Amino acid sequence: MKKILSLVLALAMLMSCMSALAEGAFTPADSYDVGERAYNAGVVEVSMAEGGSGNTVDTVAFAGEAGKDYTDEKVYTYNDYIGGTTSMDWNPHTWETSDDSMFLDFINMGFYSFYLNEEGDGYSVLPEMAADYPVDVTSEYVGQLGVEEGESAKAWRIALNQDATWENGEKITADDYIYSMQQQLNPKMLNRRADSYYAGDLQIVGARNYLYSGATVYDLITDTAENLIAAGTDVYVDIWGFWGMEGTTDDEGNPCPHYVLTTDEVMYRDPAVEDPEGDEAYVSGKYLFENYFAAGQVYEAYQSSYMYTATVADETTWDEVGLKKIDEYTIDLILVNPMEEASFYLPYNLSSNWLVYQPLYEECKSFFDADGKQVATEEEAATVTTDYCRSLEKTIGYGPYKLTYFELDKQITFERNDEWYGYRDGKHTGMFQMDRYNVTVIPDHATVMMAFLNGEIDGASLQDADMETYASSAYIHYTPQSYTTKLTWNTDYEKLLSRGTNSQIQVIDEFRKGFAFALDRNAFATSFTAAGTAGFGMLNYLYTYDPFTGATYRSSDYAKKALVNTFEVPYGEGEAFETLDEAYEALTGYDIEKARELMQAAYEKAVASGIYDGESDIVLDLRVYNSDTIYVQMFTYLDTQLKEACVGTGFEGKVSMNMTADADYYNTNYSGGADMIFTTWGGAAMAPFGVLSNCYTDGSDGSGNQMEYGYDTSAIALTINMNGTDYTYSLQDWANWMNAYDVTNIISDLGKFADYSYDTRCGIMAACETAFLHWFPTTSIYYRNVASLYSQKVNYATDTYNNIMGYGGLTHMTFNYDDAEWAAYVAEQGGTLTY
Amino acid sequence: MTKYVIKRVLLMFLTMFIITTMCFVLIKLLPLPAIRQMGRDVNLILAKREQMGYNRPIMVQLYLFYRAIITGWDWGVGEQMYEGLSVWGVMVQKLPYTVLVNLYSILIAIPLGLGFGIYAALKKNKWQDHVISTMVMVFISVPSYVYAFLVQYIFCFRLSWFPLMLESASSASLISWKMFYSMMPAIMSLGFGVVAGLTRYTRAELSEVLTGDYMLLARTKGLTKAQAISRHAMRNAMVVILPMIIGEFIGILGGSLIIENIFGIPGIGSLYITSINVRDYNFFMALTVFYTFIGLASGIVIDISYGFIDPRIRMGSKK
Repeated sequence: MKKILSLVLALAMLMSCMSALAEGAFTPADSYDVGERAYNAGVVEVSMAEGGSGNTVDTVAFAGEAGKDYTDEKVYTYNDYIGGTTSMDWNPHTWETSDDSMFLDFINMGFYSFYLNEEGDGYSVLPEMAADYPVDVTSEYVGQLGVEEGESAKAWRIALNQDATWENGEKITADDYIYSMQQQLNPKMLNRRADSYYAGDLQIVGARNYLYSGATVYDLITDTAENLIAAGTDVYVDIWGFWGMEGTTDDEGNPCPHYVLTTDEVMYRDPAVEDPEGDEAYVSGKYLFENYFAAGQVYEAYQSSYMYTATVADETTWDEVGLKKIDEYTIDLILVNPMEEASFYLPYNLSSNWLVYQPLYEECKSFFDADGKQVATEEEAATVTTDYCRSLEKTIGYGPYKLTYFELDKQITFERNDEWYGYRDGKHTGMFQMDRYNVTVIPDHATVMMAFLNGEIDGASLQDADMETYASSAYIHYTPQSYTTKLTWNTDYEKLLSRGTNSQIQVIDEFRKGFAFALDRNAFATSFTAAGTAGFGMLNYLYTYDPFTGATYRSSDYAKKALVNTFEVPYGEGEAFETLDEAYEALTGYDIEKARELMQAAYEKAVASGIYDGESDIVLDLRVYNSDTIYVQMFTYLDTQLKEACVGTGFEGKVSMNMTADADYYNTNYSGGADMIFTTWGGAAMAPFGVLSNCYTDGSDGSGNQMEYGYDTSAIALTINMNGTDYTYSLQDWANWMNAYDVTNIISDLGKFADYSYDTRCGIMAACETAFLHWFPTTSIYYRNVASLYSQKVNYATDTYNNIMGYGGLTHMTFNYDDAEWAAYVAEQGGTLTY
Repeated sequence: MTKYVIKRVLLMFLTMFIITTMCFVLIKLLPLPAIRQMGRDVNLILAKREQMGYNRPIMVQLYLFYRAIITGWDWGVGEQMYEGLSVWGVMVQKLPYTVLVNLYSILIAIPLGLGFGIYAALKKNKWQDHVISTMVMVFISVPSYVYAFLVQYIFCFRLSWFPLMLESASSASLISWKMFYSMMPAIMSLGFGVVAGLTRYTRAELSEVLTGDYMLLARTKGLTKAQAISRHAMRNAMVVILPMIIGEFIGILGGSLIIENIFGIPGIGSLYITSINVRDYNFFMALTVFYTFIGLASGIVIDISYGFIDPRIRMGSKK
């Protein structure tokens, strides 16, 4: 009897389990349509650029501290530190990191340099390796090198500084510049910085073709694939980017190339499909095109993201490159595009240099054939490598300092280069009091702080934990950075669905927006950063949109409106705030009630669209670099606020976050493998108009985004009213137009972006920023600032931060103690200083 | 024995070849790091990768890899870290620091560990033994980087007995008193754990050996206590202790990432992890081969050492 009862009970339990499972079985919809994304940004007042290259910049530099002797016989050393080194590359053709760039500035010198202006509150420009400011000689090149009649600002003549020498005393002449550029663009070397002279603002005629001479280069298509194919153009599919086929082969072992023709029928094995007989275990270029990208197929809209045309770069000789020697001390630069506002932008783009010392450069070369076997000469070689400027013996410069000691991952020392013309030319009075610059590698922050307090180093960046002790120190400096840290979302439905954690919920716009309103950015910045401030936009307040007036983007009305509109702060008659400024000042981005309303709306939308059953648990995965305490704290805050936003909504008790440490989290995100990550973009604070394109909308794989996986800016229609007419293009096109790309449809309607005044450009940029943020693919959290302590040994030239010159930097720094006096002073204080 | 050693060495190279080949193929199967050059030319990176042979069949790349090493001891150049610098050159520059700091710490730790262990065993269950055993537990339980912070804060920062960081080679040569003195905080931090470990093993082994019948026999045949311990007890105890000491020497080359960071030691502690994180093939392969070699070679050394300590153990003997 007992056995029968047990059996019945077991059967009952089994049936109850099965019925529970049957009830809970829910299959989310296969896809989710985000709907049409169109944004009308309203009116941008149009005015055209006036003055153009005629605008002037300040050319009188700061004279230094009154009564200070900058040339006495004492020895002044500034002891600095860096956290670590994996690069240490001072070859101007291949340098990599910002540290590299900083050290390069010690031993090299640009054609022009920026210094504090006379009043110490702005910048001035001085010719350095150039003897004078550039002269427009475009008319002399009409009919040559792509210069046409009537054009201007394309060819520039630069007189070279005849006092400039290498640190061994040898004169630097025009021949050095020609040789160095030939090496910079050497096709066998493929130097990392070669594209600085054909892909940035300073594009030298023929430079790209000289580098790639005869090689194939790929560019994203600018028309539909069908039109191009009909016109006889070969179109390629990026099979690595689209189908993840990197490293795969066909059945004969031939590797799968990066780009395959849309007509190519060679089948490559996709290892992601385990069964070789399985569906799509083999794919070809033709298969992918016909089944995914062709007209009417599911990824037709992504043609401009994954399809390329190939061009064989013209065989180009040096004569066809736009760098000409006029005489021993004069060169001409001929550019692909006119240099607008040249009085600022030409010196700005020529504030670095490509010079290398020919005898040493040749000595540092190694030659290899196609199989990596060393050969004797460059002519025989397929590849040329160099270790120029990678060690003390192989480094030579021509700047104010020279490298005198280098120990990998330990110490670097620069000392005054007495051969530098600047110490004698009378133009650098009141600068360069520092005799020696010594950098120690100190990876550990606690060691940095102890070394600083012992007087061993003369500056220390602070972390948030240090602020309690040093926030009120008289020696603290806050240095704004152009970087904004954001929480970036994956909005690709299929990728999210494949996780099985119901994170597909984050494709709902209201969900992301609700989360954005649940974040108290002030609290976040104060709690988890040393000096960060609440961030709302993609560009922070450091960006200068008019280099001549110094006007900053974030303080413009357009940019204020962008944020006030994004975070829906009402202003105007009868509203909570009367003026835009008041509304902007009151902006916090934090409104928990609004967050809950949005979350409830998201819940209803998710259930209605069949992507969520309304009951299951939802886990959103935040990928972070590591599981350090600070990340855990930030994650805990986000998780808490997410749950807080869900209180009283259908999501209550169902949504949570998970944190995964992933040292490769950026790449994970690039491939859609993360639900969300922290991203931090910035840089180019004096050239903000390219930032949107470079950092947000122009994925190098053509996906219409850089980090916001699944958020395709090429599918967002942005309308701007200019001169009473509405102009509608994709957000990606607008951003690329601002970045001086050749966006033919906009250029044919509106001309070039640079033709407009800075105010108009600012308005267009704000429209793009608003459009990008409108669907909250990313949530700005804080603007980065660095808090640091500076030593009692030194004084900065100014207390007012300057976008280009900072506080005057080491160039204008003055010393209170020489080395001997400092050692005595530290000993006097008992070996530990008080800050 | 010679035949046995030769056989083991040959097998070691075969194992190394298999491991190296497997690692090479597996890492090459991983996708290359994504190309994300903000505002820069992607074609330049693609062309560079083509030039470096990344797009060739993996077996061809493997052949070229072996050929370069065998014919020219060329391990390639850094691609994602120390770009353009010789992999071997970077390793050779950084290795001496790691080796020296660890070697000094072990050389100091061995006599201390053995001494404390012997003393604790001889004073078994007396207060001296309890004190030593308690300290051993403390030092074994606490990770070395905790000592490092304490040593640096107390001895370097507060008392100024030692410099905060390792001297640069510009002010002291690698083998010099000044360099050794600046290494002392790191040596201490690394050494505490080793001393504690050796003390514990020595005490345990010696305590057991000391109770053996042959020890009684040794004493009854007229040996002094010291003679009996050094000639019989220690020799037997070393069968267990020596492999442990050799094992510590193997760790010398591994480095200690955190200790190196704290004391500014430019060693190889972080190289391997960084090479995996940034997917630098050449550094990863060179370090894989290096660590594989160290691991296999030390295994042979440990095995052979048994025969020297205890004549009854004959490696490779068929009987």
